[in-house]
Amino acid sequence: MIARIIDTLAPRVSGADLVVKIDDTLTLAISADGDSRVSSSRSRCSHLRVARDGRVGYASTEGDDAGELIGRAMAAAASGGELALFLPAPAPLPEVASRAPQAAAADVAALDGLARALLERLQRSNRRIEVWAERSSGSVQVANTRGVLAAYEVTLAGVGAVVESIGAGWAPPCRVHVASGALPALRDIEALVSEVERRLAPPLLDSCPPLPASMPVCLGPRAVATFLRPLRAALAGYEAWLGNSPLRGKLGERIFDEKLSLSDDPLAPGRPGSRPLDDDGVISRRLLLIERGRLLGFLADLEVGARAQVPSTGHGWRGPSAAPRVGFTNLCLSPGIEGRATLLTMMGRGLWVEDLQWGGGPNPLAGSISLRAPWAYLVEGGMVRGRLEDVRLSGNVFAALAQLGAVGNDPAWVGAFHVPTLLLELGVSQRS
Amino acid sequence: MKAAILDAISQSRAGYGELRLRRVWSTTVLVRGRTVEVAGSGVETGGLARCCSPGTGWGAVGFSGTERLEAQLRRAHELSLAAASRQPVGLAPIPIHQLEQADPPPDDPREVLLSEKRQRAESLAAELYATDRRVSAARVLWRDEVIETWLATSEGTWIHDLRPSASLAVLVVAEEAGNVERALGSLGVRGGWSSLGGIGGLIERVVGTAVEQLHARPVRPGRYAVVLDPAAAGALMHRAVAHLARPALPGSDPDVLPMGTRVGPPCLTVGDDPGAEGLRASSTCDDEGTLARRSVIVQNGVVLGHLHNRETAAASGHAPTGHARAGSLRGAPHPRASNTYLAPGEGSLGDLLSGIRVGVYLSDVLSCEGAGDDFALRGATGRMIREGRLAEPVKGVQIGGELLALLGRVDAVAADFAWDSGGGRCRDGAAGVVPITTGAPHLRLVDVAVGPGGA
Repeated sequence: MIARIIDTLAPRVSGADLVVKIDDTLTLAISADGDSRVSSSRSRCSHLRVARDGRVGYASTEGDDAGELIGRAMAAAASGGELALFLPAPAPLPEVASRAPQAAAADVAALDGLARALLERLQRSNRRIEVWAERSSGSVQVANTRGVLAAYEVTLAGVGAVVESIGAGWAPPCRVHVASGALPALRDIEALVSEVERRLAPPLLDSCPPLPASMPVCLGPRAVATFLRPLRAALAGYEAWLGNSPLRGKLGERIFDEKLSLSDDPLAPGRPGSRPLDDDGVISRRLLLIERGRLLGFLADLEVGARAQVPSTGHGWRGPSAAPRVGFTNLCLSPGIEGRATLLTMMGRGLWVEDLQWGGGPNPLAGSISLRAPWAYLVEGGMVRGRLEDVRLSGNVFAALAQLGAVGNDPAWVGAFHVPTLLLELGVSQRS
Repeated sequence: MKAAILDAISQSRAGYGELRLRRVWSTTVLVRGRTVEVAGSGVETGGLARCCSPGTGWGAVGFSGTERLEAQLRRAHELSLAAASRQPVGLAPIPIHQLEQADPPPDDPREVLLSEKRQRAESLAAELYATDRRVSAARVLWRDEVIETWLATSEGTWIHDLRPSASLAVLVVAEEAGNVERALGSLGVRGGWSSLGGIGGLIERVVGTAVEQLHARPVRPGRYAVVLDPAAAGALMHRAVAHLARPALPGSDPDVLPMGTRVGPPCLTVGDDPGAEGLRASSTCDDEGTLARRSVIVQNGVVLGHLHNRETAAASGHAPTGHARAGSLRGAPHPRASNTYLAPGEGSLGDLLSGIRVGVYLSDVLSCEGAGDDFALRGATGRMIREGRLAEPVKGVQIGGELLALLGRVDAVAADFAWDSGGGRCRDGAAGVVPITTGAPHLRLVDVAVGPGGA
């Protein structure tokens, strides 16, 4: 169908491209009360973009009426924005592992086995635990009127838990999960169990001297993934190239600490964002964003690239009933050299934060944040002394990253982020 | 379509089978500056087949398209049997209804050319620039949607309805002497192409806000008496009360306000009315076929009820309240608020202000977020209150604190109730996104932490 639509359009338009995404997701969840739910979701979405007479429009559908889709896309192009859109030509696809056959074949029994393995390892008499396991398997086809006709298959599988401590020793719900292109292995489950036990083990500190207004804070990988949200927004798409990003116009400048290097890597094998080409048909490649503190790149898709007059970086995404958008694939922060013990020592008196809850802040795009840290631990003399409640971190993400204390040697995958622990200085408050 | 759906349901061998099919037509026009940047349309068709049987858990299958409906139900039944549930699903009984409410509106947006929508969006952008010379950038997002839903269950429920809606969001940047300020505003209504009223007022308000902010100073952080405008008061009630009145959803707030708990003063009465006439989030029946009805959650400061779907109602021994809502095309229905209201009290805005020597008036709510027990409400604009009167403007204001502690600081509710027309949406983890409406009068809180917020 995809080639037929493109062939039909080719003589009538200056350019057109089409993405067809098919997905089959199977999810199994076991509640704290022991009831299981199994759900399956199968979807098929076609997203067609047409360039005609200097204007661009799009249409999407979950049906298979090609004529109707073409008609709407043509109408949208007649009313669409003026844009000189240059579609990519065919090119050899890079090798990237985006599908694991074992994950694609996982059935209810396989997911039940994963979820129950995690549940059994976490179970204690004073805990309420919800677990889930999920796998999705699908394909992406991309074609355009310049001759691109490519397809690849994808899988994603994960297992996770929400652990609540009940009775004495109450702690906030501890949410952990792991996801990648392959089914989680036993070592992945053990890593989740270790994380939960590490987070729940330190006692709650009933009283400690008041915290200073700012102090050294170590953000673990899960917390770093949340903390970097304003930086991600500032590096991507229209805002970065033409909009209100505070980084706009600063390419080439050294504006972060030299310990910070950041890249986006769609070719990382078997990760949530792994793909050989983007939804615009642009070949994937690793993009260096920040190298030793120097700002080297922003993300662009074809449309943002055309507006900003820069090449696409291969970061186009399409979804149902939405305009094309720019997005990351696998964001990788380069690890440093410091181990956990060294980081604890370097902190003096400070906080170790395992996870953060995104709550925005006065102006997240400008980097101003105010985030709740439900899993924060007081560190003194190189040792974790205990867990603190009601801690909030504040400050400016860009300013903090300009003066990094240290970068850990412990990078971990948190969804599509590969990030290590970061030591930095942040504003701290604790509700009395 | 009806015959295909009923035929599929009749073939289901599950104890309970449910088939929901939904088709969403949408058009989007984005104007950045004075010219259109994006024009597009979408048609999504898909749904959910759910089954359970005596002794089993749920089996659910989400799907695209309208083909092989009986196969989707068969697969859902197989999944329900495959789930080794230790707890069978219980569903509270409901009266069985057959409803046909799918007449298209006379001004059906699907019949309006995209070029006409584009022209309207561009002329609105031009109006933004013409309203004040200090407007340096503008963005207009027009979106309309028609949602057609078919729902059938093995118990005999049949619902077929059509819900058109339209929304408009505008962003304005004003500049003067090196100062740059932004303001946002939106409208969202149930109805067809011509139903979006009050656009002139929105443009005036958003431009006025951006320009006023050029000369506003940041609020001095501290603890103040705070008066919320009706939109902000409604947002507070939605997040602080309605969210905590639902039995737990997977991956979301585990806390539910226990029945009989006092959470606020006697002037606090909060409910949710999914059947309220003509609002964007209203419906005759919910996504399980339960008739929508008004539910009082907090009466005179004391928790009196919860929002239920059939499953949570059965588990707690209550009747379903008509709040089962699916947050996506293929999503399962969970208990969600729809039209949350704070019942009117007494007096006017002036009466609320009159007792305040120094305070803050928060308006034009930007966001309302909760994380655990914490809560933050940001207003794009605000004014200081001095000696019982609204005084100088201040830049965006944020109030925050622990949810229940904040409700305890409510000390007066005015009588000037209004439903908000801003076209709100509620995003809630795995449960997805649903349109919501809030309604409230002005509300006063005492001794609240205030800090800088803004756009």
